[in-house]
Amino acid sequence: MTTITPTATHPSQGVPTMRLTFGGVLRSEWIKLRSLRSTVWSYLIVIAIALGMALLMSLSMVNGMSGGTDISGAPAGQQHELVMQASTFGVYFGQLVVGVLGVLVISGEYTTGMIRSTLTAVPKRLPALAAKGVVLFVATFVVGAIANLGAYITSSIVFGTDLELFDPNTLLTLAGGALYLALVAVFALGVGTMLRSSAGGIAAVLGLLLLLPTVLQLIPADWAHDIIPYLLSSAGMTMFMAIGADDAAIVGPNAWQSLLVVLAWVGVALAGAAVLLKRRDA
Amino acid sequence: MCPGRGIRNFDVMITAEGLSKRFGAKTAVDDISFTVRPGQVTGFLGPNGAGKSTTMRMVVGLDRPSGGSVTVNGKRFAQHHAPLHEVGALLDAKAVHTGRTAENHLLAMAATHGIGRQRVREVIELTGLESVARKRVGGFSLGMGQRLGIAAAMLGDPATLLFDEPVNGLDPEGVLWVRQFVRHLASEGRTIFLSSHLMSEMAMTADHLIVLGKGRIITDAPVSDVIAGGTRSRVHVRSPHASQLADLLARPDVTVMRAEAGVLEVTGLDAAGIGDLAAQHALAIHELTPKTASLEEAYMALTADAVEYRSEAVR
Repeated sequence: MTTITPTATHPSQGVPTMRLTFGGVLRSEWIKLRSLRSTVWSYLIVIAIALGMALLMSLSMVNGMSGGTDISGAPAGQQHELVMQASTFGVYFGQLVVGVLGVLVISGEYTTGMIRSTLTAVPKRLPALAAKGVVLFVATFVVGAIANLGAYITSSIVFGTDLELFDPNTLLTLAGGALYLALVAVFALGVGTMLRSSAGGIAAVLGLLLLLPTVLQLIPADWAHDIIPYLLSSAGMTMFMAIGADDAAIVGPNAWQSLLVVLAWVGVALAGAAVLLKRRDA
Repeated sequence: MCPGRGIRNFDVMITAEGLSKRFGAKTAVDDISFTVRPGQVTGFLGPNGAGKSTTMRMVVGLDRPSGGSVTVNGKRFAQHHAPLHEVGALLDAKAVHTGRTAENHLLAMAATHGIGRQRVREVIELTGLESVARKRVGGFSLGMGQRLGIAAAMLGDPATLLFDEPVNGLDPEGVLWVRQFVRHLASEGRTIFLSSHLMSEMAMTADHLIVLGKGRIITDAPVSDVIAGGTRSRVHVRSPHASQLADLLARPDVTVMRAEAGVLEVTGLDAAGIGDLAAQHALAIHELTPKTASLEEAYMALTADAVEYRSEAVR
């Protein structure tokens, strides 16, 4: 262990093509994401929640209904709506899990000191943040899509309805839920980068997703209630739940407008993260 | 491997010009300029809090200088196409996510620069981490953490290596290993910049010394010069006629200190000179002992005015 082979410090074949590239940083962040247990667990929980919630919701809807009316007698449109509600119910809980994950992806580097290794390898810094964002977005979207698809199949089986996977509204709703999860994760990455602390970042993200809507609801003023549809979690739910709905039936922004609202939240978080990451000492 | 293969022309150096770093009202690094040259180990010595780590962090861009600049091979670190190929840095043994295995950490670092699995395997062997490479870093001892830090620094086969206090907290075997490794890297022509707060460590490893105190450079010279300059020999004299002898020794180039009753510490005149002088005046001498100041004392003398945390640095 204490002896050194004189030539051993050099790579056996030289390193002719060594160069820092964005593709390389993407690969690096992908290795980092999948090599932590917290990631694997978070994603498994997202899938488990989606399937479990879809099952529970579908069962309670079917039972509740069959007590009074016959579900098979309900209009197809209404049945479809119930199936979609049940199959995307897990997103509400999944957002909390991916929010925590998004914070941890960066705050874990700050609390362990890993950030210094990361920023030494990628000294321009912003490519590292961008790569983290891309990898987290894609991974979360894929997991969310699998979870929502599984939830939809589960609900359809419980309801006994036909699978309408190629129905645009069905697809858009399921994909929209996955998109929202991916965007929450990236938003949380931005918050985590700004706060550099796991506890602070998680508190901020969960507070915004869970607490703020409730608090605003309790404030007895119109302005407070007017803000609610523009909150990240409210706009996020609208952006996939209100797909195909009649605009007149929606209070506040419609699905597409809500998507823009969510993108704005993510953009502001990332912009703040980029400015602070570039400016601060690591 | 055939000898000489892979040896590049490492004429890379670190150049700092008027480099400063302030944290609020506190100045950690105060307008320093220096050059770290290839093919030798440049020791960066100073008491805790002198600004060594801050300076090294500025070299790789982790801290942004408040003034001046520091370049590697003429460019700022971030402007190089392959930063890990220019500088490998061990700034902090635990700059690693504790939940990841050593191998995955190295693979992730390597991926940024398109460095392959083969090289990752090489640096794992180089640092003797084979048995723990698949274990999570959280359970590593300080010594293994240090080896992993060195493995990561070596990934890009860099021309310049920064080591911040690499032997801190290591057991004797680990200290020896790091020392040999650093010497070996310098012998390959690489530029080595190594910090420590221990003069004795520097004397073992470094060729050139930059001594820092309170954010300023106190000395920038070859190790041999620093030692020679700092180690003026002293003579310990015990005599019943100490005060008479002290009067006789009172000359401009001689310093006499009364350590205790009947004991003098004389600098500026050797033992023979003192003995002759005493004999001429028929003064009895009971002890006449030449003493060479240790490296630590030379270092203390250099940094005496520049110690930030006195209780920590001087006992």
